[in-house]
Amino acid sequence: MLHKPVLNTRQARWLNRCRDALRNPLYLIGAAALLFLAYTIVWPVLNLIWSTFVWKTQDARLTPAADPGHLTLYHWSRVLASDMSWSLFYKPVLNALSVGVTVSALSMVFGCGLAWLVTRTDVPLKKTITFLAIIPYLLPSWMLSQAWLTFFKNSKIGGTPGILLSVLHVTPPDWLAYGFVPIVLTLSIHDSVYFFLLVGAALSSMNSQLEEAAEMAGAGRMQVLRRIVFPLMLPSVLSGFILIFTKAVSSYGVPALLGTPVNFYMISTMLYSSMRSRLTTEANVLSLTLMLITMLAIYLNQRLLGGRRSYVTVTGKGSAVTHVPLGKWRLPAAAGTVAGMALIAVVPFIVLLLQTFLLKDGSLSPDNFTLHYWAGGSDPNINTGEKGVLQNPIFLLALKNSLIIAGIASVAAAVIGLLFGYAVARGKNTAMGRLVDQLAFFPYFIPGISLAAIYITMFAKPVLFIPALYGTITIIILITVVKELPFTVKAGGAAMMQIGPELEEAAVLGGASWFTRFRRLLLPLSRKSLLSAFILVFIGAMKEMELIIMLVTPRTETLTTLTFYYVEKGYDQLTNVVLMIIIAIVVAVYALAVKFGKADLTKGWGGQ
Amino acid sequence: MVNAGEKTGTVRDTYAPKGKRTTWSWPGKAAALILGTALLLTACGQGEGGTAGASDASAKPAGTVQSAGDTAEASGSETPEALYEQAKKEGKVIVYSTSGRANDAAETFMKQYPGIKVEVSKVKSDEMMDKVTKEQDAGQFNPDVIITKEVSGAVEEEMVKPGRYVKYLPEDLAEKVDEPYRTQAEGYANYLEFRTIFYNTEHYKSAPVTNWWDLTTPEFKGKVYTADPLSSPAFMDLFTTMVIHSDDMAAAYKEKFGKDIELHGTENAGYEFIQQLFDNGLVVLKGSDDVLDAIGKANSDAVGLAVSGDVSKVEEKGWSILPIYDIKPKTSVPDSGYLFLANKTPHPAGAKLFIRWMMGEKDGQGEGMTPFNEVGSWVPRSDVKTKNEVAFEDLNLWVFDGEKLYFEAPKVRDFWIKQK
Repeated sequence: MLHKPVLNTRQARWLNRCRDALRNPLYLIGAAALLFLAYTIVWPVLNLIWSTFVWKTQDARLTPAADPGHLTLYHWSRVLASDMSWSLFYKPVLNALSVGVTVSALSMVFGCGLAWLVTRTDVPLKKTITFLAIIPYLLPSWMLSQAWLTFFKNSKIGGTPGILLSVLHVTPPDWLAYGFVPIVLTLSIHDSVYFFLLVGAALSSMNSQLEEAAEMAGAGRMQVLRRIVFPLMLPSVLSGFILIFTKAVSSYGVPALLGTPVNFYMISTMLYSSMRSRLTTEANVLSLTLMLITMLAIYLNQRLLGGRRSYVTVTGKGSAVTHVPLGKWRLPAAAGTVAGMALIAVVPFIVLLLQTFLLKDGSLSPDNFTLHYWAGGSDPNINTGEKGVLQNPIFLLALKNSLIIAGIASVAAAVIGLLFGYAVARGKNTAMGRLVDQLAFFPYFIPGISLAAIYITMFAKPVLFIPALYGTITIIILITVVKELPFTVKAGGAAMMQIGPELEEAAVLGGASWFTRFRRLLLPLSRKSLLSAFILVFIGAMKEMELIIMLVTPRTETLTTLTFYYVEKGYDQLTNVVLMIIIAIVVAVYALAVKFGKADLTKGWGGQ
Repeated sequence: MVNAGEKTGTVRDTYAPKGKRTTWSWPGKAAALILGTALLLTACGQGEGGTAGASDASAKPAGTVQSAGDTAEASGSETPEALYEQAKKEGKVIVYSTSGRANDAAETFMKQYPGIKVEVSKVKSDEMMDKVTKEQDAGQFNPDVIITKEVSGAVEEEMVKPGRYVKYLPEDLAEKVDEPYRTQAEGYANYLEFRTIFYNTEHYKSAPVTNWWDLTTPEFKGKVYTADPLSSPAFMDLFTTMVIHSDDMAAAYKEKFGKDIELHGTENAGYEFIQQLFDNGLVVLKGSDDVLDAIGKANSDAVGLAVSGDVSKVEEKGWSILPIYDIKPKTSVPDSGYLFLANKTPHPAGAKLFIRWMMGEKDGQGEGMTPFNEVGSWVPRSDVKTKNEVAFEDLNLWVFDGEKLYFEAPKVRDFWIKQK
């Protein structure tokens, strides 16, 4: 070595760069993230893509030309360019796009407005408002659409007329009762909590001095909003936009209930149909088109952000948040918000809770109240002898499994999201960073069922160092983490982007290792975002069903798979009891997170 | 990683608008592609076996699997006593079921045969096919007993014929079993239900429909509901069966209107019926319950297509409805709840014992049958008394032809989608 001639400067620089890259934890994290994503997402997606170009034995059902095992473009041409395409693909795509865009826009208005109110004004009852904002998300979205029908149902679909019709004798027109309008509204109500949390976290960590400085320099309030606040919020807003767009485009329950009566189909409902009719390849083609749409959306997102992508709002300097005084609007604003949110959040909840105590649904006479559905024994006259939920022998097992899955998955997902977010934020000008960012978004587009089906094959046998996970709880945790990546990585990335690199540089100068930096600096500073990711994933995991139903074995039964049985039997009250238990658990976890997440959380999420 | 060549690892340009640098954002896709191809190559090495979808694997293992099936089927001769002895050693039975009735049967079974634990997983029929196929392809043989509905013949074609689900009928019970479930059908069905027309009993004194073509008349314009056949294949199976038996449909048309059917650009009377149904303002709802809510909750002159088994929920739901059990040319096509052994069942004796239990044992009196013998469903055993007014033999049903349905169903589905 010693005798080695001095390298020329070019080589030296190159070598330095390599060494630098190896030593920089950013690249290690990025590489790990890419490996993880490659195995858990890219590989399943490639499987999907591959399957759409090959004939299967099943395809003899579609055309006699099928030649199993050989390559074909038939599936794509059938979806994109046949006499079926308009009804099967283009119309549903247009519907999906219009729903997606409108829902994102509406949620943005709801979510940002609420976030601003809670974090930047002196409105009272902040904690209550924050809490209420989460409730719609706790309820399954189809339940909100059911509530919509209770009010706006007209005579088209028969049954008990909606309240508007029966009480006020106003017949709501079809467009108000079914299809586009109600789908958009219920989805917006359900999902705007994402906006609220993402933007709320960003707003609360933004230093008011920026605004004050601008005001001192003579900027008007609108100007401050437009030139300072909005650009700073842009990354979070766009993250939220994409997130909700994708969620809306791929939602199934709501469009199925509100869309079918008026023939309003979206790609997701078509996809579900292909799946159920065992036209697996058609389903795969449809889900790939969904993926293409997202990629396009993400691309536009990046275009919009351009180079201005990140603004640092956490700088390490003292950040005093001054609240905008609402003056005489203070009380009306609080009252209006609370009342409005109570109407969409609390009323459906109370109706459901009440229902669990009613022996026969709909009658409020005193002798109709019962605890049977909660804790009653077997009574042949009620639900053909089905016991109350708490008496169900598998209830305890299911409860335990649900808690383990949601608990571990949410912590893991939040931390992984933060790490990947670090790779995205710090590596934002590298191909690696962008790749992590984009790949992490895919899981929303692989239908839960297909992902689960592929996971059975991938994890049924040990591969390399990965043991056979099928049949264990681990695989359910894994798939939950993967499925929530789009959200957690976005949240983690948005949080990381706001933390100035000079803080880390200072720590490096101070001799802190990367791990110390992460633990002492990044983690505490992004705690708010971390906690909101944790809570949302926890809720999602507690509610998840479609994704895990294929991976569940009798020993890994969860609370939601328990309801599957109740729903099928039409035991409404029992279903609602389980739902109430799930909600109670989530609320408890939320309360704990608020308590132990301490000051920062309350500050970010409202309160003093 | 290639263009990570900014001076230090901590990327510095956070404040500076970098403008055109973002043109690099799309090459990310290229990198993904390269990575993808690489992965594809490695992967092709490790396993050709079908990964997505179900399918292609069915060809390969068929041979070996079939023989296993044969032995299982052949050994339908054990006595329940011998099975119990054996089953106690096995300790448990794993059941995959589309129906919650399995849970009820499991409970009584465990009382009757202590020492055997029955674990029931509830899965939809199409998901169960994927799940079992993937499991078996990966060499995992988890379930013992399969309780499933058909999915337009796919269960027969993709699961029963390749030997993934194995037919089992105890010899001593076979003689009591009604055809087609004794020898002709793909397996024994412990119960069957079907899609038929329901009407509101407050509005109609007697069945308002006697012929399927009644639904296309002005009297029922905008007053026919159905659960969405696009999301519940069992509904599509009824329409597909009408297409397969288009001659019957044409005859019924003639009987109703007194003249030969005139096709309006459709292939046959079955398709013509679907088209006329749509032209008459068919309202599609999400599920069977929604249909019955629509016609049964309040006085209504509308009728709806729903599952016969739903009559057992009438009291619970407060519906005033009745199903119609005699429609021309045929009322419907059966939707059977089949019982199968799974291929290479890990607990064969327990599995067989549990199937016997659900079948009601030798005399058909066993408690295990109770959950299946309900109003609206029929048990195809000659020695079991039905709770319905009409006996199974007297039901005027088309035969469920799995193979024909399997190949015809996608076409009918396409036709349905195009009506939108």
